[in-house]
Amino acid sequence: MAYPILSARGLCVESLGGKESFPVLTDLNFSLEPGKILGLVGESGAGKSMIGRTISQFLPHGFAVTKGTLQFGGEDLVGMPAERRRALLGRDIAFIPQEPLSGLDPVLSVGQQMKEHLHRIGLAPGESWRDRALKEFEAVHLPHGAALLEKFPHQLSGGMCQRILIAMAFASRPRLLIADEPTTALDVTIQARIVKLIGEMQKRDGTAVIFITHDLRLASQISDEIMVLYAGRPAEYGPAKQLFSAPAHPYTRCLQLANPTISGPRRGLFILPERMPGLRVLKELKGCRFASRCPNAIEACTQAEPPLLPIGPDHIAACIRVEKTPEIVPPPFAPGRAATSAKAHLTAEKLTKTYTTAWSPFGKRSSFKAVNNVNLTLDEGEFVGIVGESGSGKSSLARLVVGLDNPTAGRITLDGRDVTANGQAERAFRRDYIQMVFQDPQSALNPRRRIGSIVTQANEATGLHNSQRERADRAAELLKEIGLPADAALRFPSQLSGGQKQRVNIARALCTLPKILVADEIVSGLDVSVQAQLLDLLLKLRDEHGFSMLFISHDLSVVRYLCDRVMVMYRGEVVESGRTQTVFADPQHPYTKSLLTAVPPDDINLQWSPVAAEAGYQVE
Amino acid sequence: MRMFATIAKLLVMRVLTAIPILFVVSMLLFGILRILPVDPAAMSLPPNATTQEVEAMRSEMGLNRPIYEQFGIWLGKLLEGDIGRSIHFRQDVTSLIGSTLPATIELALLAMMVGTVLGIAGGLFLFYVRGTRAEAVMDFVSILLLSLPEFLWSLFLLLIFGVFFEVLPFTGRLSPGFERPVVTGFLLFDSLITGNIATLLNAMQHMILPSLALGIALSPALMRVLRSSLLDAYQDDYIHQARLRGLSEKRLLVRHGLKNAILPTLSLMGVQFGFLFGGTLLVEIIYSYPGMGNLMVDAIRNADLPIIQGAGLTYCVAVLVISIVVDSLYLILNPKLRVR
Repeated sequence: MAYPILSARGLCVESLGGKESFPVLTDLNFSLEPGKILGLVGESGAGKSMIGRTISQFLPHGFAVTKGTLQFGGEDLVGMPAERRRALLGRDIAFIPQEPLSGLDPVLSVGQQMKEHLHRIGLAPGESWRDRALKEFEAVHLPHGAALLEKFPHQLSGGMCQRILIAMAFASRPRLLIADEPTTALDVTIQARIVKLIGEMQKRDGTAVIFITHDLRLASQISDEIMVLYAGRPAEYGPAKQLFSAPAHPYTRCLQLANPTISGPRRGLFILPERMPGLRVLKELKGCRFASRCPNAIEACTQAEPPLLPIGPDHIAACIRVEKTPEIVPPPFAPGRAATSAKAHLTAEKLTKTYTTAWSPFGKRSSFKAVNNVNLTLDEGEFVGIVGESGSGKSSLARLVVGLDNPTAGRITLDGRDVTANGQAERAFRRDYIQMVFQDPQSALNPRRRIGSIVTQANEATGLHNSQRERADRAAELLKEIGLPADAALRFPSQLSGGQKQRVNIARALCTLPKILVADEIVSGLDVSVQAQLLDLLLKLRDEHGFSMLFISHDLSVVRYLCDRVMVMYRGEVVESGRTQTVFADPQHPYTKSLLTAVPPDDINLQWSPVAAEAGYQVE
Repeated sequence: MRMFATIAKLLVMRVLTAIPILFVVSMLLFGILRILPVDPAAMSLPPNATTQEVEAMRSEMGLNRPIYEQFGIWLGKLLEGDIGRSIHFRQDVTSLIGSTLPATIELALLAMMVGTVLGIAGGLFLFYVRGTRAEAVMDFVSILLLSLPEFLWSLFLLLIFGVFFEVLPFTGRLSPGFERPVVTGFLLFDSLITGNIATLLNAMQHMILPSLALGIALSPALMRVLRSSLLDAYQDDYIHQARLRGLSEKRLLVRHGLKNAILPTLSLMGVQFGFLFGGTLLVEIIYSYPGMGNLMVDAIRNADLPIIQGAGLTYCVAVLVISIVVDSLYLILNPKLRVR
């Protein structure tokens, strides 16, 4: 057994600032050997990122290690002088961030930033930083390295920025790499390539990696070991394959079942109730932190915190009833009523949108087709998924359909009525008939309005049912439907969690009972548990109100779970469409194939081999 | 090289748009001042002139022609560099402005330097003490500074350093007895190139108080914007990422933080420096500084229309030049605008 490069023994991090102290990380034990990958998995707020921050010792104000040790290559990371730690950072310990586009300084060129970093980590005698930078770019398969040095971050795609950051991270041949959700902000196909690249570089240098992700399936594909965190404490820790194929802790099992599958028959999603307990209430909790949400919890679970018990070789779990875990099964797949008639609610014919650059006395105006000749129908009660990478025209199409933008060519009809002209009459008709749910509830909800007023905003436009009384009644109904307590009507968006905000976002679109919803990436960026709740909420609401939906997503497994039909878009065109099950089981177009293989398989024993699409079908 | 091409493009664009702006401003200046109830013909004659004499003067000056014709004549002369003759000083307006403008430009440039240095230093200090008790104190001080206008600073500084301690001169540009070299009209520059060190030092002493008064008034807004832009920049990932690469805090601040935070600060400077020319007016009067401000006040007092028109146009040109310079700087510092 090799000597571990990083080891934590009884590590505790607490917040000491402010009036009360509360635990952030509790009793963390792990050791990471050179060349191994440790996956850290859990919902947001579980403390995953806090481990990275503890290693760098750039903790939030008032946070401190209160117990235990954290050793890097035999040195005490916590106790060492700040100067010594700074010397390690960037050289021996490297980081890859979550948001590649904001990870690079916007006012400095790529070359300036590479130069700064390479000079800091030191160059070989006689080596110029330029040559070295080009070498590092080549290693991460970045073409046109010399031209890239002159570029600025805003000229590059997220995938390219992430490759540059990876090149920087591995330039010093680090002994430890911390990758914090490095692919969350990227497209699926790029995600696959970036993950492969990290694996490739890590093998080259024998680097130990901590891979932080909320995606258990992804973590199990690339990690040697996985630690599942819950409310700052390890729930389960063990070899990746074993942990994924036979999860011992109910939380691991529930996370796994909350995520929709990408192959085989569709199954229901396990709905984790409520939310993770906040860090502030943990001190009062006597028993298991997961007990309040656990389907297997019994009286004994709430009495004392369960110890981490051995399950198998190197496999431990903090549960006193591990034998019951396999009994947690997902509910059967129940999509409710789907398409009820073949009557088309929405049709779009030969829809095209061309964007042209602004006029300038210098140079010609250029234009590009964001949406090119797209035909679309949406039947009553039908959910149609639109998938594709960023820049494929998904969102542009959505904007055309709801009337936020006017098409350059083509025709849109709603319920047999031509609304292409988008004049005042058409807009009024559209408003009642079709509503949009926006991607980011954080910015989609006016922070200065109360929830009750936000969800009934549509009444202001029509002027109908706009009295205080009527609006309060309608708000109460809507909140009940989306599963929020009635008193939420008086709160402000900032007082809700991310998942609750997205529910409010959906409720607002449903206020006047439109026949069609257009939802643009409404579950991306949310935890799998919240995602499962929202997906089932949409199915339940369809069952009650019978609306149809255009569901735009980059997540193929979500589309597979939710949608009856799917359209695959590539560079503004629909390259494949059909019944979701058929398309996903037997994709015809090479681009669809490459999208599907980019998703990590459900079965841990299957080799994950993302196929790069044929030449001409590569974005980035 | 691409940077110069982009800046050249910007300059061409801005000069082209400056032409209609100047035309509209000259129209406004001409129009408004003709509406004023003052008769230039009557003013250029002795008080006991007869009505016939006034009428003769009016037709000689072209005042009985239609207003658009008068504007045409005025504009034509303007393009030849002739803004007219001062009624009060009996001198060409061009030469009057030519003899006072350099003094004001020198004062304004020095004030910009003082304001920028104080603003950036203060902003960095405010940022440095963030989250400490000193921040609250500094916050208070900066708001106090912000609420004092430049003429109050002028009076304070004059009383303290000029009258009470008697360490600095506070009237005019030069003490009596110093030789005054004239090459370009810019006193500091002229005395420097003619090697007249004694004059240079004396002139600089004279400029300390007025430029300090103007600069101090400029600085608090800059401080506060720089501080808040730095706070914003430090929320961004690239700062944290650079820190995780092991860069020192000093390097983070200077190379990454400041370079980003300077952009909003620069936009504010553009606006402020535009107003600076107006601000020199009162300060020049307080320090009896022979610049455009004093000329302007004399002209207004005597309803000396040609000077007011000339000075108005000069201010307009100055504001345009400053905004073009600031925009070019912005372009140099912000790659997002420079390259697409």
